[in-house]
Amino acid sequence: MRRTSEGRIRGEAAGRPVRRGFVALAAVVPLLLTGVAACGSDSGDGGDVTINFVWWGNDGRANLTKKAVELFQQKNPKIKVQTSFSAYQAYWEKLATQTAGGKPPDVLNVDSRYLAEYGGRNVLADLNQGAGKAISLADINPELAATGVYQGKRYAVPWAQNTPAMIYDPAAFTAAGADPAKGLTWDQFAEATQKVSAASGFSARGATDFGIFDTTLEIWLRQQGKQFYTPEGKLGFTADDLRRYWQFAGKFRDAKGASPADVTASYNTSPEQSPLGKKLTSSEFAYDNLLPAYKKANGKNLNVAPYPAAANGETGQYRRPSMFLSVSARSQQQEAAAKLVDFLINDPEVGKIVGTDRGLAPNLKVRAQLASAATGNDKTLYDFEAALEPKLGAAPPVPPKGAGAIQKLLQRTYEEVAFGRMSIDDAVSRFMSEAQKGLS
Amino acid sequence: MTTLRTPDPPAAPPRPAGSARRRDRPAGRRRKSQPEAFAFLTPWLLGAVALTVGPMVVSLYLSFTDYDMFTSPKWIGFGNFTHMVTDDDRYLQSVKVTLIYVLISVPLKLTVSLLVAMLLNTRRGGGGFYRAAFYAPSLLGASVAAALVWRALFMGGGPVNEVLASVGWHTPSWVDDPQFSLASIILLTVWQFGAPMVIFLAGLKQIPAELHEAAAIDGAGAFRRFRHITLPMLSPVIFFNLVMEAIHAFQSFTPAFVIGGGRGGPADADLFYTLYLFEVGFQDFRMGYASAMAWVLLAVIAIVTAIVFRTAKLWVFYDDADTGGRK
Repeated sequence: MRRTSEGRIRGEAAGRPVRRGFVALAAVVPLLLTGVAACGSDSGDGGDVTINFVWWGNDGRANLTKKAVELFQQKNPKIKVQTSFSAYQAYWEKLATQTAGGKPPDVLNVDSRYLAEYGGRNVLADLNQGAGKAISLADINPELAATGVYQGKRYAVPWAQNTPAMIYDPAAFTAAGADPAKGLTWDQFAEATQKVSAASGFSARGATDFGIFDTTLEIWLRQQGKQFYTPEGKLGFTADDLRRYWQFAGKFRDAKGASPADVTASYNTSPEQSPLGKKLTSSEFAYDNLLPAYKKANGKNLNVAPYPAAANGETGQYRRPSMFLSVSARSQQQEAAAKLVDFLINDPEVGKIVGTDRGLAPNLKVRAQLASAATGNDKTLYDFEAALEPKLGAAPPVPPKGAGAIQKLLQRTYEEVAFGRMSIDDAVSRFMSEAQKGLS
Repeated sequence: MTTLRTPDPPAAPPRPAGSARRRDRPAGRRRKSQPEAFAFLTPWLLGAVALTVGPMVVSLYLSFTDYDMFTSPKWIGFGNFTHMVTDDDRYLQSVKVTLIYVLISVPLKLTVSLLVAMLLNTRRGGGGFYRAAFYAPSLLGASVAAALVWRALFMGGGPVNEVLASVGWHTPSWVDDPQFSLASIILLTVWQFGAPMVIFLAGLKQIPAELHEAAAIDGAGAFRRFRHITLPMLSPVIFFNLVMEAIHAFQSFTPAFVIGGGRGGPADADLFYTLYLFEVGFQDFRMGYASAMAWVLLAVIAIVTAIVFRTAKLWVFYDDADTGGRK
């Protein structure tokens, strides 16, 4: 714009007054583009075979995984592996886009919450057929190996084993007269959380409110002989079960043993961003292999403990496939892909490189070797799971399609309760109706 | 995810090829230049068709389908559109959050940017520095970095909590409490008032000083001069800013995505329309429904813009009565 002698606003080019009639429709277009955006990946060079391999995790995990991949390339000079990784949530967004674009990676990291989503839609190869048969499962606990089977097809093999557990600050709990590592009952745990809260002047509560965690709900249900999902892919619990669970969690919150609503709402899956990681609570339900990440974030010498047990002594814990490896059904390089998968789960040297970052090595022989030589956090985890082993049950059936959204739904609806914006009954009926819609 | 904003601030927009231009030039010359014009436009046209029109057509088709991104789309007619209004509480929540955000943040941002522009307009020395300083936050635009800093400022135990507590107002974590969360995002938006401010400033500088002088001599106070000279003379610029900011506000995504933890904030308090659209499409594998949502948003923005344009006759003052001779 320039100023004219008359002082009017004028269009640059024509020297005419600025007038109506121009609003850019283009402003709206980028949004629509998101609906169809897709990205691809590069393919091979020369006679060698190139495969793409993706996983989720942080930088530390990426470094370990890349080292393992380098070792694979040294041993298989004909195969070149291109890797990439993202944080958990971004990983799924990217993978969905790549898959929709018709170019899924050859080897991919899959979570049990998404196994049915991808397997059931024929994105993943059945590893009982063709090239996948080269993957050896001989030294893997059969119950653990079975967790990758959905509707009779082996869409994935477990990459590591972990178990749901409690991460806690031993100093705070010892001062409150409780030793979670030896196993507590829920009543003892409730009492201890109140004491821990009081000892800190209520600035750091005894526990992160567990009403938002799907895994804790699952463990709580299992302790009562129930399950989260039925083998048919429906919810395995009733509205009444959920009501009782939230009332149970509510008692911790009301007694100030568990975190207040705004602290609970800040939880977003990564240990660094969780209330325990930010020192706002002294214990949190998570998975045992996350202990090092929690320790690093929190700064204190945290420890891992079994879930508090029901009155009958049942802890409900199980041998969980921490995560899976799968081969894309559309991969042109199924053999090379299967070779990489086999290498990552069975090679003893890989076991040494990656340690317990994702959990225990799936291969029992490798695990036994590593356990005897383990030190530090690794040793803590091996000892923890070894002590728990006789009590660990088999993993529940593969969660149905739509399970990925259930965790967020649970968190959202429970927050309505925790903030006092909704009664438990209303929140429960919202959860049940949305969950049933999402799973159908 | 990239920003959903258009580059700003747009300078004086080109007039659509209209009646005035046609009369300016000899008809013959105009016809001759057409092939060259299209030749020069070709690269742009190719890009527009391949990257904009094509995807738009596809997304329009997808909006009438059930499409999970892995298997082929299934035609379901208006199913997606009826589902939105009859059977999706979260959709209605996202509409509510977005409307509140637009209705509060746009007037607030325009008011603040106008006030700051008037303040800068009165300054004699150092105006350039302050202009740059006030504009800087807008350069960060819808950036993730600014939103992350905002989250750190307003989270539990963060600086905002501390300062408010020191004057006796104890608040929960703003970004994690449903009552405060949206307010923190609105504050972030208002803080980035630089783009409309610069445009207001340019507009203010073009209001002839003699109008103010004459009014002052006639005894008009500062408020009357503002009400009866500044506002009417500035109304085309206000109109422009209003339209642009309203469009931006409807499309706002990044601040809510980052501040709301990527999931719509506590109890869905920050569930912006675009955020829900993104979640439905890229996290829940319902791309058909997401496409339908995108088209509804496009339609709503178009309607709102049309309404603003219609009402413009009532309040926007174009001082072009004396340009008749030039036409």
